[in-house]
Amino acid sequence: MIRLLKISLLQLFWIPLAVYSQTIVSTKHNLSVSGPGAIKATTESEICIFCHAPHNSRPDHPLWNRSDPGLTYTLYASSTTQAILGQPDGASILCLSCHDGTIALGSIISRTTPIIMAGGVTTMPTGVSNLTKDISNDHPLSFIYDATLAAADGQLVNPATLTGPVKLENGKLQCTSCHDPHKNIYSAFLVATTQASNLCLVCHTPANWVTASHRNSTSTWNGVAPNPWFHSPYTTVADNGCENCHNPHSAAGKLRLMDWLPEENNCLDCHNGNVAVKNIQAQAAKTYKHNVYGYQGIHDPVENALVSTNHVECTDCHNAHQANNTTAVAPNVNGFITGVKGIDQNGSQVNPAVYEYQICYRCHTNTPGMAPPASPRVIVQNNVRLEFATTNPSFHPVVGPRNNTEITGNLIAPNTASTVIYCTACHASDGTGSPAGPHGSIYPHIMKAQYLTADNTTESAAAYALCYTCHNRNNIINNINSFPRHRLHIVEERTPCNVCHDAHGIGSPGTTTNNSNLVNFNTAVVSPSGGIIQFTDTGVRHGSCRLVCHGENHNPETY
Amino acid sequence: MKIKKLLTALPAFFFLVNVGLGQTIVGSAHDFSAQTWNTTQQICICCHTPHNADITIPDAPLWNHRSTTATFQLYTSPTFNGAATITQPSGSSKLCLSCHDGTVALENFGGTTNGTHFITTVNNVGTDLRNDHPISFVFDAALAAADPGLWNPTTHPSGIGTGTISQTMLFNNKLECASCHNVHNGTGIAHLLRKTNVASALCLTCHNK
Repeated sequence: MIRLLKISLLQLFWIPLAVYSQTIVSTKHNLSVSGPGAIKATTESEICIFCHAPHNSRPDHPLWNRSDPGLTYTLYASSTTQAILGQPDGASILCLSCHDGTIALGSIISRTTPIIMAGGVTTMPTGVSNLTKDISNDHPLSFIYDATLAAADGQLVNPATLTGPVKLENGKLQCTSCHDPHKNIYSAFLVATTQASNLCLVCHTPANWVTASHRNSTSTWNGVAPNPWFHSPYTTVADNGCENCHNPHSAAGKLRLMDWLPEENNCLDCHNGNVAVKNIQAQAAKTYKHNVYGYQGIHDPVENALVSTNHVECTDCHNAHQANNTTAVAPNVNGFITGVKGIDQNGSQVNPAVYEYQICYRCHTNTPGMAPPASPRVIVQNNVRLEFATTNPSFHPVVGPRNNTEITGNLIAPNTASTVIYCTACHASDGTGSPAGPHGSIYPHIMKAQYLTADNTTESAAAYALCYTCHNRNNIINNINSFPRHRLHIVEERTPCNVCHDAHGIGSPGTTTNNSNLVNFNTAVVSPSGGIIQFTDTGVRHGSCRLVCHGENHNPETY
Repeated sequence: MKIKKLLTALPAFFFLVNVGLGQTIVGSAHDFSAQTWNTTQQICICCHTPHNADITIPDAPLWNHRSTTATFQLYTSPTFNGAATITQPSGSSKLCLSCHDGTVALENFGGTTNGTHFITTVNNVGTDLRNDHPISFVFDAALAAADPGLWNPTTHPSGIGTGTISQTMLFNNKLECASCHNVHNGTGIAHLLRKTNVASALCLTCHNK
């Protein structure tokens, strides 16, 4: 009976159909007294009238019934936007006639007195729906989106291929491209779901996004503040997609519409142990770190690969659109650092970086603001890139395999003469289970393990744990397969590795005779003998040293 | 719950329908019998005559009023799919505009050509129809298919009588002034509307928004 009544009612009166289907009637845009939202009229029953009038509309289409705010808006602007942005026009200005918060919601052209809204509401209350006249923190609008723009950007689809719900108005992207003010099938009157950024990806095609962890991770938030997904309803990284980091409206970080203004907060609101497994925020709290907190507003995605203004942000080393967890063999970049710029061994830009060290070279290649070398040396070197050149007399094998086999018998497996290592073999977060990479360490220079450099350090496995990761301690301190005076120097004389060895490598004017085996004396400890500080290589584990150290005059000492 | 609401609303609907029936042009906005410019003091004569009517105007029943000769600026919009079929006001719409475009004097009927009283205020839509709901365009199933914001007029009930939009509101499949307005005030609803626009019911008859 009830069912029959229901059917007959629907047939007789079509209006109630609205209740059963997605129409404006059941949305917040029904500002009439029958509206479901908090903002609605006290008595006015007409729905369309708040925006449309059948006669004397202004502007003509779409039979608009509200005044143009006539404002000059503060527009979006960023170094990565190729679109030419003008003041809002077309449908967008119609939306803004409520959503900029300047014109009373009930103020319409066809009525001489404004429609009275409940609760004394006049203009759009402050909140996410009130974009204000500063729309520089909102997705850009009212710009021509054509094939030329798509080509210039490189990560936008050709709009000629837009056949889905996203529509342009006279070739321009407007509010109505993403929003249908009449239907709220998806939240926020969107024309498609934002799950997995479905809507964003209609236009945006970030390179390699398909394989990115931020596209595919099913990680969830553990509920500990801050909420990384405060403007989206989804519960996994994959479902949040772009909205893990980007906020299309009223973004705190205006440039590129980031969730937060401090660049690193956009990463650390997930990489703090609350979503991602590894806690990068904990590393960034350590004494020695790549201090992403120390800079704001300096990093620019279009900046030269060779950093000119000293800074470091997560995105200098990581590309959030591309990063994934694929592994690699040194020196190749792995998935975590794929898709970022670098400087190659010749000092030229390379984009994207192919080898990990190329990313490090962005800053550590005699760039402005870099700290001088930690230890004073006979041969002073300010450019890390040149220290690792495989044409050098000696070097740690970061750019390529070592150039002699003298050390081989002293290496801990699986290291061999042909092994190549990452910068991050030594420079990385300390501690078992810490995330890879040089995020932060309790040891100076972001060393992965302890590497004491103070003179008169008592030798122990812990004192030089970093070196002993690859170099066999037992052999070294017992003069096996190594410098036959190692025990005398390191154990008995308590001389740190750092005093004789310059760990990165020695470039020009170093020579294979005087600077093999990473020998480049620390002049804070070692002084000249007769005006000379010099090591001379005379064959495998044979040589001589002329210098004064710990009061001992080597004039010279040979072995 | 919803059914209960509907039942509550029923009396209101019937009330409106009852009021609608029995209304006439007498005393309505189109009753010009008391206007100073209407020396005949009649009502129908402003538009109609029983004899010697103007038969040069299409769709003009026993027409007695001068017809506008204006060329109108038509509605256009990037989201208006009827642009392909819209024409200069045709059929009965042109009759309406023969007063409402402000170019033909109100008293220019029955052979009078030198009237001096013209329509005023919002009732004068002028010859620029770009800011008025489009008229004289074909509203058919194809248009509704192209614009999901429209109901299919061939199947969707209009709520006017028992017919569809096509059957009760369109003229040769075209939307005209008379689709929304009843010139003779059959309903008694303000602005001579053919059905109530409470809750935008008239708009939502065709617009699936």
